[in-house]
Amino acid sequence: MNFNIESPTSKEELLNCLRNHQSGYFRLAAGFTDLLIELKKSKTEELTVINLSQIKDKQFTGIDIQPSGIRIGALVNVAQIGKNQSIRKSFPVLQQAADALASGQIREVATIGGNICQASPSGDLSCALVALKASCEILKMDGTIRHESLNDFFRGPAVTSLQKNEVLKSIVIPANQTNKLKSGFIKIGKRSAMECSIVSISYHFQLGADAAILHSGIAIGAVAPTVIFCREAADFLHKLNVNKIHETDQLKVAELIQQSASPIDDQRASAWYRNEVLFNSAKSIFEQD
Amino acid sequence: MDKNLNIIGKSKPKLDGKERVSGRAVYGHDIELPNMLHARILRSQYPCARIKSIDCTKALGLEGVKCILTAQDVDVNRIGYKRDHPVLKKDANCQRDEIAAVAATSKEIAAKALNLIHVEYEEIEGIFDPFEAMKEESRQINLHGKGKDLYGNKNIAESFHYSHGELEKQTKRSKVIVSRRYELPRVTHCCMATSNITADYSTMDGRLTLYASTQVPFLYQRDMAHALKMDPSLIRIIQPVIGGGFGSKLDMYPFEPICALLSIKTGKPVQLLYGREEEFLASPTRQTMIIDLTSGADADGKFTFREVRITMDNGAYTSWGATTPFVMMQTYSSLYQVAACDFQAKAIYTNNPFAGSFRGYGNPQATFSIERNNDLLADELGLGKDEIRLINANYPGEITGQGLHFKTCGAKPALTKVIEASNFIRKNREKHKGRYLKGVGLASMLHVGGGAKIYRSDGCGTRLKLDHYGYLDIITGSSEIGQGSETVLAMIASQELGIPMKHIKVVNTDTDVKPWDVGVHASRTSFVAGNSLLGAIRLMKQKLDRKAAQLMECEAGEFLYENGLIKRDKKEIRIDKVAREMHFGSPNELCIVEYFYEPESSFQDKQFMGDVSGNYAFASQAVEVEVDTFTGNVKVRDVYVSQDVGRVLNPMGLQGQIEGGVATGIGYALTEEMIYEKGYLMNPSFHEYKLLTAVDMPDIHFYPIETLDEAGPYGSKGAGEAPLIPTAAAIANAVSNALGIEFLTLPLSPEKVLKAWSEKKQNELANSQSI
Ligand SMILES: Cc1cc2nc3c(=O)[nH]c(=O)nc-3n(C[C@H](O)[C@H](O)[C@H](O)COP(=O)(O)OP(=O)(O)OC[C@H]3O[C@@H](n4cnc5c(N)ncnc54)[C@H](O)[C@@H]3O)c2cc1C
Repeated sequence: MNFNIESPTSKEELLNCLRNHQSGYFRLAAGFTDLLIELKKSKTEELTVINLSQIKDKQFTGIDIQPSGIRIGALVNVAQIGKNQSIRKSFPVLQQAADALASGQIREVATIGGNICQASPSGDLSCALVALKASCEILKMDGTIRHESLNDFFRGPAVTSLQKNEVLKSIVIPANQTNKLKSGFIKIGKRSAMECSIVSISYHFQLGADAAILHSGIAIGAVAPTVIFCREAADFLHKLNVNKIHETDQLKVAELIQQSASPIDDQRASAWYRNEVLFNSAKSIFEQD
Repeated sequence: MDKNLNIIGKSKPKLDGKERVSGRAVYGHDIELPNMLHARILRSQYPCARIKSIDCTKALGLEGVKCILTAQDVDVNRIGYKRDHPVLKKDANCQRDEIAAVAATSKEIAAKALNLIHVEYEEIEGIFDPFEAMKEESRQINLHGKGKDLYGNKNIAESFHYSHGELEKQTKRSKVIVSRRYELPRVTHCCMATSNITADYSTMDGRLTLYASTQVPFLYQRDMAHALKMDPSLIRIIQPVIGGGFGSKLDMYPFEPICALLSIKTGKPVQLLYGREEEFLASPTRQTMIIDLTSGADADGKFTFREVRITMDNGAYTSWGATTPFVMMQTYSSLYQVAACDFQAKAIYTNNPFAGSFRGYGNPQATFSIERNNDLLADELGLGKDEIRLINANYPGEITGQGLHFKTCGAKPALTKVIEASNFIRKNREKHKGRYLKGVGLASMLHVGGGAKIYRSDGCGTRLKLDHYGYLDIITGSSEIGQGSETVLAMIASQELGIPMKHIKVVNTDTDVKPWDVGVHASRTSFVAGNSLLGAIRLMKQKLDRKAAQLMECEAGEFLYENGLIKRDKKEIRIDKVAREMHFGSPNELCIVEYFYEPESSFQDKQFMGDVSGNYAFASQAVEVEVDTFTGNVKVRDVYVSQDVGRVLNPMGLQGQIEGGVATGIGYALTEEMIYEKGYLMNPSFHEYKLLTAVDMPDIHFYPIETLDEAGPYGSKGAGEAPLIPTAAAIANAVSNALGIEFLTLPLSPEKVLKAWSEKKQNELANSQSI
């Protein structure tokens, strides 16, 4: 593994960097926790890595809370997300996903942008953000911004809509429309830390006064080529009282969620296991304990 | 040894603790010698192949490449416990096989050179199943194996048969008999420091210095000399700080003589470091075993017999690991009272990577099978799982069928303690409903506690040197690999000589300096090195007593050693003054003594009968688990450990051994497994090999049992291996208790557990519908 590295410190420098390298092979990197593993395996010789981690621009590094929603810079690290009070209060699913990612050490360097751009079907933050109906703000080389919903941004395992002349700048999560929430992240793996999800479920329900579900988001990870938004299950739950979801409806939701999955056998688990656990975990969302 | 102990029995941090956690410790990876070259090994592309040609011309042309070795270039002996292991291979017999080695001026160049070596292979279908290997028509896997002559089958690498008692009679007497086949996985040590060696050969005097992470420096010196056809005394072994051993460094492996050869050929120091992936691919593993065990008990629940057939996957070459049956037969013959035992174990060559030795040395596997069967016997007899174990527990004074003599024995107290502490009887009967099902399991173990007489000597030498200023050097033959025994040695010296801990240094890393010791294994170091040290201290005190009496002008005899003083009645003198007077006063003499301790244990006879250890350690564990029936995840909630350690020497150090052992045991039970497909390792990384992490650890409750066995220092027994031996068995018993399902293999992965649970539910449903 041998590469040249360039470390722009501002948006302008970054855009310059991008322009200079359009004709060659280069990679972007933020926390390097995914990229280094990939580069170790590759045999590419002439490679430039554009290291984003020195960029000081707040648009990349800040968490900005607005009435319309929350903007999280692509370079915000996972630990910052786990500790942010607004996120904790308004988007528990994201905070739980952050706390469940890797280990304390990795969380200090791994970024939200890296998690998204890696486009791993088992990306934990990605899964939470899809349930939250987040969208991407993508900086183009000419300085303009392209907006795209995160759900559309993912195109396949390790594939996104990002072009060679683009960088992910930030992620926007729309504000909740009600104050009452049922929101959480379920992660299934073999150990409690340093673990890639075998199955993950993110759910974020905004509730009316009578606990009726007014807005819902459900996403599943590691059971399809990308993180999947479970539209049918979300629609089915509309207007149901979150505290009184009948057992048959619980099963129905679990079934709908399961139907949106298309797991495969791999070394970490079989398709059978993923299906089974997805169903069981989905069922457990509304179980009163 | 009844006296007031103010150091022994009080917690002391490890002597090397600060160095290790602050990063100051010098591991093998930190060594840098002038003009040092860096080595890499080219391993086989196939688990089984004929090598038609190796072309190194391109690689040799790369600037910075100083030397490339293949089998053709070296004149060496084969290595390994059976001398069936070529250092560099002419043909490939497993994925690890060393085909060529490069020394270059940088790591990067060495790595690049590997890619330029062109090897032409002719792949051969490998044999990966030991039962397949044993078939008459199968090819001979290791051409140096002597199986045909010795054991009647060309692919048997090693074979053991042991028996005592009247098997037939005991079988007839049995009210219940349980037969099961258990399969245990291949796991590996996961030392935090990867394998490493730095070799420094001097063309001036023909001496070879090796900075090597070995557990057995003197045996290693001899093995190295044999491999290289050198005089052992020309080889000096220096042990840098060792980042984990756990048995993995009991053998010498090919990379070590290879690195030495590169240094000899180039006349320069050469360093070889494994990366993590290489560590998974090419460092030793625990044996996979298929164990067929039949156990019986009579109407009163007394064990009648055990008949066991063990098939071990030896891999392509034979290491010390093939002798794990020595330990296992003790467990089958003597863990609990057993009237008759018939034991047979075979290590079978395959094209899998060869297995080595690993903390517990076969005992976790043996204990797993016995303790699973014990639960089944209890069920069939309608006895409690606690009862059947108490009825059969070992006792003080027992001489077992194999001739092990338990002069002291904490088996019953340990069992009783964990049964009470875990509330076992109540919890074992409780039935749970819902998603999370709890269960408790129990298991015990027996292991050597006072060394093990396997080599011609199980001894250890000690030299003590007291300097002008009252500082003491303990020059011990024994080694520190993280287990904490050097701290215990310093504590013993401080206790006996009244010298403060900070004035004591343990010198233990250089074969040119230290006296003979057989090595770190068999939980022996604190026992053997401790006794050796006590012997040396006796001699040192005789010297000091004589001089002190002369200086204080009082009668000869014993003095009290306290706070740097030697005293009797109202008279006292500083210990450093006595040392100085010895050196400078007449008759001038050194304040140096030496002592060699050899345990009183005996060799086994040809039938494996004999009292091989100075004493024996006993332990029981009770484990409480919670099984998530939605995911199959098993969470270990509490582990209750009670262990007969003879006497607690350093409570903090002992607790570390207990917790570390249990952690390894939990991994063995639940998540760890090297996954092989046709001889290829599929998960050579911490990402896919699921070593558990700190947050997975349960609460570990430890209750030492002190039986004060007179053979050990202050009555202590070896304690290092015991804590992981019964853990997997206890966990499997607990999971069975929770789910009412029997598991015959490890690890109890979530998928395996969920599958078994789903099948059980489906069967129940089918049964209820058919009624
Ligand atoms: C031991 C370990 C455990 C892990 N556990 C988990 C886990 O539990 N859950 C989980 O989801 N992940 C896990 N990961 C994966 C990884 O840590 C996360 O995906 C992390 O969020 C990646 O962020 P990064 O900043 O390190 O990305 P990098 O490695 O720097 O980059 C990842 C990819 O994104 C691209 N990229 C990065 N930033 C941008 C940007 N702003 N614009 C465009 N492209 C960009 C890079 O080019 C690269 O392709 C683990 C990794 C390791 C090594």
